[in-house]
Amino acid sequence: MELGFVLPSASRESKEVDLAIIGAGPAGLSAGIYAIRAGLSAIIIDKGNAGGLAEDAPFVENYLGFEGIKGEELAKKFKDHARNYVEISERNEVKDIIPEGEKYLIKAESGEYIARAIIFSTGTTHKHLGIPGEKELFGKGVSYCVTCDGYFYKGKKVAVIGGGNSGAIAAIYLKDIGVEPEIFEFMPKYMCEKAYQKMIEDRGIPYHKNVRVTEITGDEKVTGIKYEDRETGEIHEFAADGVFIYVGLVPMSELAKKIGVETNKWGYINVDQKMRTNVPRVYAAGDVTGTAGQIIIAAGQGAVAALSAYEDLMLS
Amino acid sequence: MGYISEKDKEYLKGEFDKYLKEKVKLLVFTGDNCQYCNVAVDIAKEVQDLHDAIEFEEHSINDELAKEWGLEHVPTVVITDGDKYGGRIRYVGLPSGYEFSSMIEDIIDVSRRTADVSDEVRAQLDMIDKPVKIQVFVTPTCPYCPKAVRTAHRFAILNPNITGEMVEAVEFPEWANKWNVMSVPHILINEDVQFIGAYPDEQYIKYVVEAYKKL
Ligand SMILES: Cc1cc2nc3c(=O)[nH]c(=O)nc-3n(C[C@H](O)[C@H](O)[C@H](O)COP(=O)(O)OP(=O)(O)OC[C@H]3O[C@@H](n4cnc5c(N)ncnc54)[C@H](O)[C@@H]3O)c2cc1C
Repeated sequence: MELGFVLPSASRESKEVDLAIIGAGPAGLSAGIYAIRAGLSAIIIDKGNAGGLAEDAPFVENYLGFEGIKGEELAKKFKDHARNYVEISERNEVKDIIPEGEKYLIKAESGEYIARAIIFSTGTTHKHLGIPGEKELFGKGVSYCVTCDGYFYKGKKVAVIGGGNSGAIAAIYLKDIGVEPEIFEFMPKYMCEKAYQKMIEDRGIPYHKNVRVTEITGDEKVTGIKYEDRETGEIHEFAADGVFIYVGLVPMSELAKKIGVETNKWGYINVDQKMRTNVPRVYAAGDVTGTAGQIIIAAGQGAVAALSAYEDLMLS
Repeated sequence: MGYISEKDKEYLKGEFDKYLKEKVKLLVFTGDNCQYCNVAVDIAKEVQDLHDAIEFEEHSINDELAKEWGLEHVPTVVITDGDKYGGRIRYVGLPSGYEFSSMIEDIIDVSRRTADVSDEVRAQLDMIDKPVKIQVFVTPTCPYCPKAVRTAHRFAILNPNITGEMVEAVEFPEWANKWNVMSVPHILINEDVQFIGAYPDEQYIKYVVEAYKKL
């Protein structure tokens, strides 16, 4: 048996720093390393675990230097690496940010922090489909996390709604642990990378294209889904014990907006090439900026944001 | 070679040196037909070796203490001061994966003899004067679960009427099935009130109070 040992990072002391990094996903952890190495004092605060959404990624095959690694392990490596440099405070949600002159007061669940600059690396949360049955059957067969709940469906049939990269990876993971997934994609073609398409085909996972899922059925438990064939308009039923939903992401930018940071109409934070927002000494990096939704990009943007903070705080 | 890597041990030693104050007992209850009992014992021993304040003890699930605390399943890991916390802060099944981090944080809080909650949540916790048992079903690969487990355990540290019990759903499928656990963390209070998700303290306590009011 393979055992993982995830270590906590429980810093709780209030303090004053040059840079507060909100969100300890790949973007925030990378920013932390760059900030400290450059010479800034910094803290990373996360409402959950350090590692962020990378922990939900079952298997990562496109991060440079790792041909294939579990998201959980990669996240642990990131965290171990970052922790050598920077203080990380986990399970400590940032609730409010109040500008005070040239500085910011950051109020978290445990502890208050004063910072001269902020990086928002708050990532995204999963989008809901908003169809009948989704809310009612959450936890009764409807799930948004395969690594958490996939196990309960061994030997059973499930629907994966959404055939983009996340949905594709989710279905591949499910198949590999002994679940029988079928994928339902709105668009009339494969919406995932070719590499995932091949894995789906090799495993014989059905990928239904051009379908609109209209309802999740069941009373006490999920019994299946109803979906419309978008070409013919016909409604079909698919019997399943579980439904995993991967239909996109919603940026977590509310806190940033509160201090005047501009976003696009979907709520993704607007940044320039240096990851600066419209507010001085406030930066954003990673999925919250709405770029490709990949770990390597998040990590890269985190590095850029930290270096910009260094430039603005130390060099000007 | 143990289960915990040398590098992780170094880190944990540093954390323990920084935060541990009073003695902490790490009790592992074992019994027959137990796939993971030896692993649980080995891990507990490795953790004990990291700091003088941590004392490991192995117990039989049939002994007096297990009866007194109402423990039935193996392995069960209890983190306690041996006194006021009794057997109220516990893990049924192996605290590995993400739950290993919960266990480390519990050891720190038990050693500090306190846990952090807001004043508002504390006031609600203080109201509870009858036994409330919070069970948190988890899987070891669920990144959101430690938060729910730790909340149950923090509440248990702060109120002597509360018991916080993690249940590893993969090791105890029938048990999970009985409560229709299909998404984790799945929280069950007094085998009555249930909710799913890693909610913040303010919401979590509402469910606890709801279950308490039904007593
Ligand atoms: C199923 C699945 C599979 C994937 N597979 C891959 C893959 O194979 N390869 C790949 O490159 N990418 C993959 N991804 C995408 C990858 O996980 C993300 O692109 C990456 O994690 C984004 O990093 P981030 O740091 O921008 O944000 P996140 O990882 O989302 O981290 C944001 C962090 O901010 C924290 N946060 C938010 N608000 C607050 C607040 N108010 N206070 C404190 N903390 C807060 C959150 O708790 C979170 O930890 C996958 C994603 C999923 C869901």
